[in-house]
Amino acid sequence: MGAVTCLMVTVVGLNAIAAAAGLALSAVAIWVAVDGYKLYPISGVSGKDDIFAGAWIAIFTGFAFFLTCIFGIFAALKRSRALMLVYLIIMFIIFLFESASAITSATNRDYLVGNSNLVKKQMLQYYADSSTQGQQITMTWNNVMTQVQCCGADGPTDWIQYNSTYRQLFGAASLWPLGCCKRQSSNFEVVDPIGCKAGVTSSMFTQGCFQYIESVLSRYTWAVSWYGFSVLMLVFFTLVIAMIYYTQLP
Amino acid sequence: MNTHNAIRLVSLLSIWMLAAQGQIFQPQLAPANFLGRITSNTVILQQPYCVFTQTCPGCEIWLVAALSTGTGNFNALVNISSPISLSVSPYPTAFLPSSAQFFLTRVGPLANFPCNTAPAFPYFTVGADGICTGINCNGVLPVGSIVSFRYLLIDPSNYTVVNMTNWGGPFNLTTLLSYQTINDGLSARSGAMVVITTLLCVAVALLLLVFFIMLCVSCCGKKDGKTVTVMSSIRIPRYDTHNLKEHVHPYDNQAYEPDAKNYSRSQTLPKSPVRK
Repeated sequence: MGAVTCLMVTVVGLNAIAAAAGLALSAVAIWVAVDGYKLYPISGVSGKDDIFAGAWIAIFTGFAFFLTCIFGIFAALKRSRALMLVYLIIMFIIFLFESASAITSATNRDYLVGNSNLVKKQMLQYYADSSTQGQQITMTWNNVMTQVQCCGADGPTDWIQYNSTYRQLFGAASLWPLGCCKRQSSNFEVVDPIGCKAGVTSSMFTQGCFQYIESVLSRYTWAVSWYGFSVLMLVFFTLVIAMIYYTQLP
Repeated sequence: MNTHNAIRLVSLLSIWMLAAQGQIFQPQLAPANFLGRITSNTVILQQPYCVFTQTCPGCEIWLVAALSTGTGNFNALVNISSPISLSVSPYPTAFLPSSAQFFLTRVGPLANFPCNTAPAFPYFTVGADGICTGINCNGVLPVGSIVSFRYLLIDPSNYTVVNMTNWGGPFNLTTLLSYQTINDGLSARSGAMVVITTLLCVAVALLLLVFFIMLCVSCCGKKDGKTVTVMSSIRIPRYDTHNLKEHVHPYDNQAYEPDAKNYSRSQTLPKSPVRK
């Protein structure tokens, strides 16, 4: 009797922790889905937006973990075999969905930001393009260039080495977009338009934007997949102990 | 023999002096911190400040941009103090296969480039006019070609070449790659993805396994389950009246032992054979 009570207390405790962890997972996944850094068009236009799909799944599975673990606390306290079986089956189904979310996010990240090629090609193809995708990419890159003070994917030489939509439309006027030029902090005007046009390194941003984009998308991915993974490990142990508890029930 | 050596010495000296003068006596590229100094069809050169030091009122500085064969063509056509026709190779047709492979464009009057001023931005772009149609416009160079440049000092009154610098260059223009050539496929799988995938798959498999073991144990193991003590789990209603509570046990009849479950108190329930 003491062992069963001890098991019950363990199951209840672990379920309480798993409920809190599931709720936190749901909150973190909401943060990823909201995309505060506004980089979604980079993955949306390329068709590889499973980082955000994984986040959406994690919102629902996190909340489902929360509810089911509360149900599990109730089932453990009631010492009912039927309820515990229902709890175990539901938890296992949610476990499958959440592991799908974690694996999908981690895998898709490698496609997007494993190296700078996809981001660079997308920038050259869609920046200054007039299609809807082009407008989204243009807006995203303008934001990134001004906020992070960078130019091009690996650097401004991307605009010189490769042909691009921007070059075909505006190449006669300027080698790279105006976002690459340094601006005054007071009135946001370009510090040295002639120098920036010629490429003087002191009048423009010379670092590439890929590092920033990669760090943001990686941050989203680790939030969904590593944190989801740790919640799943906790749930794994909870379920194993719950199954042992189930076998000890009358 | 002596005069022969003297002539040799003088010619060596003059060549050395000319060479020393020629080190800066040619068009210079913009410094290395100009990221756009050489693109696929433009070049940024230093403006010809203090290049031609002779006085020549009304003279103008012109630029010759030539491919490798164009330098030879130009050298054959034009010398110092020779007349020059400024439309000798108009820009629109300059780089056709049968043409002279060079073109001339005006930089500015000599008076604009004196020796004692140092402007803030003494550079100009060859090719700044884009694809233009004028005879002497500053049009773009052929993509990816190898170009050389030369400054000319021209007297516009009689169209003679007063002075010429040496050939600057040759400069290799960058070849323009199409962005379609960028391979944006999967580069490599990160270690994190491999770890997460394998551990989660193993966890799912283990869970399924333990789940089926649990079901087997709980279904098949019911026969030899522990006996549950009756005491704490069976509720038995009391049928004794008040006068029978404390002392008398009128129902403790051996014949009715199997009906023990009708008795209410733990003292009357038999653990061992019923006592009277």
